[in-house]
Amino acid sequence: MLNFLKLLLTPEFFFSILRISAPILFATLGAIIVEKAGFCNIGLEGIMMFSALAGSMVSYYTGSWLLGLLGALLMGTLLGFVMGFFAFQLKTDITLVGIAVNMMGSGGTLFLCKVITNLTEGKAMASTTGLITSGLCIPNITIPLISKIPFLGGVLSGHSLLTYLAFLICGLTSVILYKTSLGLNIRAVGENPNAASSVGVSVLKIKYVAIMYSGLMAGFGGAFMSMSYAQGWSQDMVAGRGFIALAAQAMGSGECLGGMLSSLVFGFAQALGIKFSAIGLDSNLASPIPYAVTIIGLVIFALSRRSRDKKQRLTAKK
Amino acid sequence: MTKRRQVVFTLVRGAVAILIALLVATVLIFVSADGAGFSEKLAATGEALRQMLAGPLFRLSKTGASFDLKRLTDIFAAMIPIIFTGLSVCIMFSANQFNLGAEGGIMLGAFVTAMIAIYVPMAAGLHPVAAVLIGSLSVAVMMLLPALLKTRLGVSEMVCSLMLNYIVMYLIKFLLNTYLADKTKGQIQSYEFLKTSLIAPMIDTGAKLSWGFLVALAAVVLCGLFMYRTRWGYAIRMIGINQAFSRYSGMKVSLVIVMSQVVGGFLAGMGGGIEMLGRYNTFSWSSLPGYGWTGITIAILAGNNCYAVPLAAFFMAYLSKGCDLMATYAKVPSQLIDIIQGVIFLFFAAEQFLSHYRQKLVVKSAQEELARKKLENADKKEGGAANA
Amino acid sequence: MPEGKAAAADEEYVVQMKGITKVYPNGVAANQKVDFCLRKGEIHALMGENGAGKSTLMKMLFGLEQPTEGEITIRGEKLSLSSPSVAIAHGIGMVHQHFMLVPSLTVAENMVLGMAPRKSGLFLDHAKAVEITKQYAEKYNLHVEPEAKVMDIPVGMKQKVEILKALVRGAQILILDEPTAVLTTQETAELFKELIHLKEQGYTIVFISHKLNEIMQITDRLTIMRGGRSMGVYNTCDVTMEEISRLMVGRDVVLNVQKDKAVPTDTVLRVRGLEYVNEWNKKMLDRVSFDVRKGEILGVAGVEGNGQKELVDALFHFNTPSAGTAAVNGVSILGLSQQRIRELGVSLVPEDRMLFGIAGAASIEENVLSDRSADKRFNRGPLFNMKAIHAESDRLIEEYAVLCKSRRQHVSMLSGGNIQKVVVAREFSNDPVLILADQPTRGIDVGATEFIRKKLVELSRSGIAVLLVSADLNEVMELSDSLIVMHNGKIAAYFEDTAALTDDVMGEYMLGLKEQSADEIGRVCHD
Repeated sequence: MLNFLKLLLTPEFFFSILRISAPILFATLGAIIVEKAGFCNIGLEGIMMFSALAGSMVSYYTGSWLLGLLGALLMGTLLGFVMGFFAFQLKTDITLVGIAVNMMGSGGTLFLCKVITNLTEGKAMASTTGLITSGLCIPNITIPLISKIPFLGGVLSGHSLLTYLAFLICGLTSVILYKTSLGLNIRAVGENPNAASSVGVSVLKIKYVAIMYSGLMAGFGGAFMSMSYAQGWSQDMVAGRGFIALAAQAMGSGECLGGMLSSLVFGFAQALGIKFSAIGLDSNLASPIPYAVTIIGLVIFALSRRSRDKKQRLTAKK
Repeated sequence: MTKRRQVVFTLVRGAVAILIALLVATVLIFVSADGAGFSEKLAATGEALRQMLAGPLFRLSKTGASFDLKRLTDIFAAMIPIIFTGLSVCIMFSANQFNLGAEGGIMLGAFVTAMIAIYVPMAAGLHPVAAVLIGSLSVAVMMLLPALLKTRLGVSEMVCSLMLNYIVMYLIKFLLNTYLADKTKGQIQSYEFLKTSLIAPMIDTGAKLSWGFLVALAAVVLCGLFMYRTRWGYAIRMIGINQAFSRYSGMKVSLVIVMSQVVGGFLAGMGGGIEMLGRYNTFSWSSLPGYGWTGITIAILAGNNCYAVPLAAFFMAYLSKGCDLMATYAKVPSQLIDIIQGVIFLFFAAEQFLSHYRQKLVVKSAQEELARKKLENADKKEGGAANA
Repeated sequence: MPEGKAAAADEEYVVQMKGITKVYPNGVAANQKVDFCLRKGEIHALMGENGAGKSTLMKMLFGLEQPTEGEITIRGEKLSLSSPSVAIAHGIGMVHQHFMLVPSLTVAENMVLGMAPRKSGLFLDHAKAVEITKQYAEKYNLHVEPEAKVMDIPVGMKQKVEILKALVRGAQILILDEPTAVLTTQETAELFKELIHLKEQGYTIVFISHKLNEIMQITDRLTIMRGGRSMGVYNTCDVTMEEISRLMVGRDVVLNVQKDKAVPTDTVLRVRGLEYVNEWNKKMLDRVSFDVRKGEILGVAGVEGNGQKELVDALFHFNTPSAGTAAVNGVSILGLSQQRIRELGVSLVPEDRMLFGIAGAASIEENVLSDRSADKRFNRGPLFNMKAIHAESDRLIEEYAVLCKSRRQHVSMLSGGNIQKVVVAREFSNDPVLILADQPTRGIDVGATEFIRKKLVELSRSGIAVLLVSADLNEVMELSDSLIVMHNGKIAAYFEDTAALTDDVMGEYMLGLKEQSADEIGRVCHD
C-alpha cells in the first residue's frame, strides 16, 4: 500500500493529472458558458469528435500544427452555430440537437476520415495515427526557470501548449463572464430573458454567441485529443469527455473555478486508473473509474445542495 | 386542421426530411466515389445509390434486379434489436425522461442472457425464455439507478445513464477477458451457448432470422397496449405532456417516472438477450453495439408511438443494409448511415421545419370550415323559409 | 357624472389619450373610448378593479400594445407608440408589477444593463456603473446599495432600482403598476416620500392601484375605470372614499341567477386560524377561519391580491401554511398529497386552467380520465375497459355540452369556454364532497359561463359544499348563498345572505373602508 502511495507522490503523476484534465476543462468551460446563457449543450462530445478529426487532418495537409489547431477551432465554432440554428430558429429541442450531433459524431468522423484519406492517400484509413508525426502535433513547452524547481518543475513545466491554454482560458472565461458587458448580458439572458430584452439586449444574439463559444471550447478540447494527448485521430478517442464535462459543470456550481476543480477531480480519477493498470490492474477495471466518479460526484453535489437549502430555509424562518 | 390534413402534413414533412438526408448522402457519396473524372464519379455515385436504395431487397446485376428473399429476411433479422431499443426509448421519452441508457442496457441484457445460456443448464423450451427474462430483469434493475437518482435527488438522468453505458461496457469487457473467455479461440469470446438455449431460426434462408422476430412484433403489440390501454402507460404519457397537471390530478409522478425507466430498461435488455440467442453462438461484443442510438432515432421517427416502431425500424434497417452494401460494392464507408441518421433526426424533430407550410394548411382548413358553416346556415334559412 | 374642475386646457397636458379603444382578436374589449390625461408634475392615480382595463391602458402608453382606435399625444405631439423603445425615447418609463431584474447581478449591473459603460474597449466599467447608480440614487433620494446583489436586497429596494432604471434611461413620465402590492407598510411610506420628492422635481407619475387610503394620501387627481370604460377624472381633494368606492365597484347589469334558497346542513370544510407568509415575507393569510357547509355556496370576494389565491393554494397543497388547520369531514387536508386530498372528496377548478387544469396535447377523453384512471369502473384487470371509458367520456361531453369534434380531439383545439367545461366535467363528476372553484368563469364565453354557474348551483343543492373564489362581482354576489370578503389577508366581512347585499356595501368592505366586528365575522364558523 505504501509503495503504491509512493508511486502516486511523484511529479509525473501530478503532471499527468494536469494533462488529462485539460481537455475535460475545455469542454467544461463550454458547458459553463451555455448554462449561464440559460440552456444546456449536450453535443459537446460530438463537436469534440469532429474537431479532433479536423485538427489532425488540417495539420497533416498543411504541414502546420497551428493551422491544424485553427481548423479544429473553426470546425467547433461552426458546429456550434449550426446547433444554434436548429435549436433557436427551427425550434428543435436543444437536447435532441445535441443527441443528433453525438450520433453523427461517432460514425460520421470515421466516414470522413476514410473518405478523405482515400482521396488523398489512395487508401481509406480508419485513423490518422499513421499520418501524423510529432512535428504536426501541438508542441510541448518547457518553461525556463520553473523547469529547474525540484518536484514542481516536473509538474508544471513541459506541458502541451494547450494544457497551459486550458487553465488560462478558464481564467479568461471567468473574466469575460464577470468583467465585460458581454458576460453581463449572457448572465442576464440566462437568468431572466424578459428583463434582458426589456432593456434592448438581443436574447437570440447572446444565445448564439454562447453556443458558438462552447463550440470553440469543444474545438480546443478536440484538438487537444488528436494533436497532443494522442498523436493523430482515431475513432471514439473522445470517450465521453464531453459528457463528463456536463457533470463537471454541475458539480462546479456552474462557475469557472468550480469547473476547473471538478475537471481536476476527474483528471485525478483517470490518472489513478491509469496508474492502477500500470501496476497490474486490468485496464477494463481502471477505465470505468472516471465515469463512476462522475456519478458519485453528482450524487454528493446533489446531497450537499439539498442540505444547504434545508439550512437556508431554517435560518430564513427565524 | 382536419385529421387527414395533419397526417398528410406529417408524412410530407417526414419525406422532405428524408430527401434532404439522401441529398447530403449523395454529395458525400460523390466525394468518396471511385473514379478519375466527373462523369466516372457520377456513374459511381449512381451505382452506389442504386445499391443503397434497391440493394437491400433486390439482387442487382447488369441486366436488372431480382427480389431476393434472403435479403428481406436479413432486414427483418436486423430489425430485432432495434425494435426493442426503439420501444424502450419510446416509453422513456414519453415520460419526458431523456434516459440514454438503452445502449448500455442492450449490452448488459445480452451479456447476462449469454451467461445463463452458457452456465445454467435447463430444459430446451425453458432455457431461452428464462435466460432472456433474467437478462431483461437485470437491465430493469440497472435503470433504477438513474431513475431513483433523478426522482430523489434531481440528478440528470441523461448524464447518469450515459456514464452507466461506459461503466457497463468496461465491466463486461473485464469479466469477459479475465474470467469468461474461451482461451482456445482466436478472438475474445465466451464459451458456446448450450444448444438448449438457442432460439431457433424461423426461415431457413441463411439469414439468421430467428423466432425472436415474432417476439419483437409481439413486444410491439404489448407495448402499444401498455401505453394506450393501461393506466400505467396512460400515466406515463400524461406526465410527459404536463407534469403539473398530472400531479394535480392525483397521479404518483415520481413512481411513474421510475417505472418508465425500469420498463424501458427491461425492453432494452430483452432486445439484447433475444439478439444473442437468436443470432450468435457465443458472446463476443467488445464494445457498445450502437443499437441504442438507432433506437433513439426510431423513437423520434415514430413520434414515440410504439405501433409505428416496426415501420421506423424497417426503414432504419433498410438504410443500414443499404450503407453496408455500398461499403462492399461501391467502396463507400458504411458509417455514412450515422450521418444520414443524424440529418433525418434533426429535420424530423425540428418543430419549425416547414412551419410556413403548416400555417397555410391551418388557414386553408379554417377557411373551408367557415365556408361550410355559411352553406349550412344558408340551407337552414332556405329550409325554414320553404316551410313557412 | 361629474367631470368636474379636474379638466383643464389642452396645453397643460403632458400626456393625452383620447378615445382609446382596445379590442383583442378574440373579441374582448379591454378599453372602450377611454380618455386619459396627465398634467406635468402631478401624481395621478389610475384606479379600478382587476379586469377594469387600467393595465391595458398603460400598456398602450408604454408601447407594449397598440390601440384599436384613438390617439395618443405626448407633449403636444401625436405619436404612435409602436414599441417600448419608442416610448422610452419619448421619456416614458414603466415599473412593472413583476420586476424585470436579474437576481444574481448587482444593483449597479442591473441599472446599466443594455447601456453598460465600458473602459478600455471590452471591459465593463464597474466603477462607473456604481458611480452612475449612486448619482441617480442621491439625486432622486432613492436609497439603494449599488454593490449588493438583487437577490439579497429587500423588495422595497428592488422597486427603487426599477424606478431608478427608468429614470436613468431618461424617463420623465413614470408609470408604476401596483407598486405597493409587494411592500410592507413601512416600505410604502418610504416610497411615497420618494414619489413626492420626484414630483417636486417636475416628474409626472401615474400610480395604478386600487388601495383607496394610499391614493387619498399622495395623489393629486384620479381616474376611475370600470368595465373597460372611464368613470371620470377627479381632483383627489374633491371626492370621498365612499364616492370612489361606488364608482369603482359596481355592476352595470345585475345578473339574476335562478336558484332555490340554500338549506345548508353539516359542516364539510372547517378552516381555523390559517396563516401564510409568502416568499417576500408578506403575510398573505392572517388568522383566517370559516366553515363551508353541505348544500351551500360560500363565496370569497375581494380585490385580487388580498389572500384569496393563497387560500385556495393552501387547501390543495400548492403552498404550505405557516399556521392553522383545515379539515374536510374531520380529516386534516393541510400538507397531504394532492392524490390524498382528492381521495377525501375534494375537487379543484384551478385558476390557471392551461397549466394545471388540462393537458393540452391530450384528448378530451384523456383529460376527463386523469383523476380516475385507476378506478374499478374503467379497468378490467391490467387493461382499460375502453368501452366504459368511451361511454363515460361521451356522457360527460354530452352532459356538459362540450362543443367538439369527438372525444379524441385535443383539448388545446377547443375554445376557452369549452376547455373550462372539460375541466369542470372532470372536477364535478367524481362525486366530490367539496368543490373549490377558483375564478371558474374567467375569460370564457357567455354560454359556457351560464352553464357552469347553473351546474354549480345544481351540485350545491344536491348536498355538495362549494367554495367559490371569484373576482367577478356578479358571480360572487349572485351565485353565492353567503360570502366572505377578504382584505389584506383577513376576513373583513361575512354576509350570511347575499340577497340583500348592495354594490356600495361590497365596495366598502372590499376596499378596506369598513371592517366588521370579530363577532360578526365569527358567524362564518358554525360550531
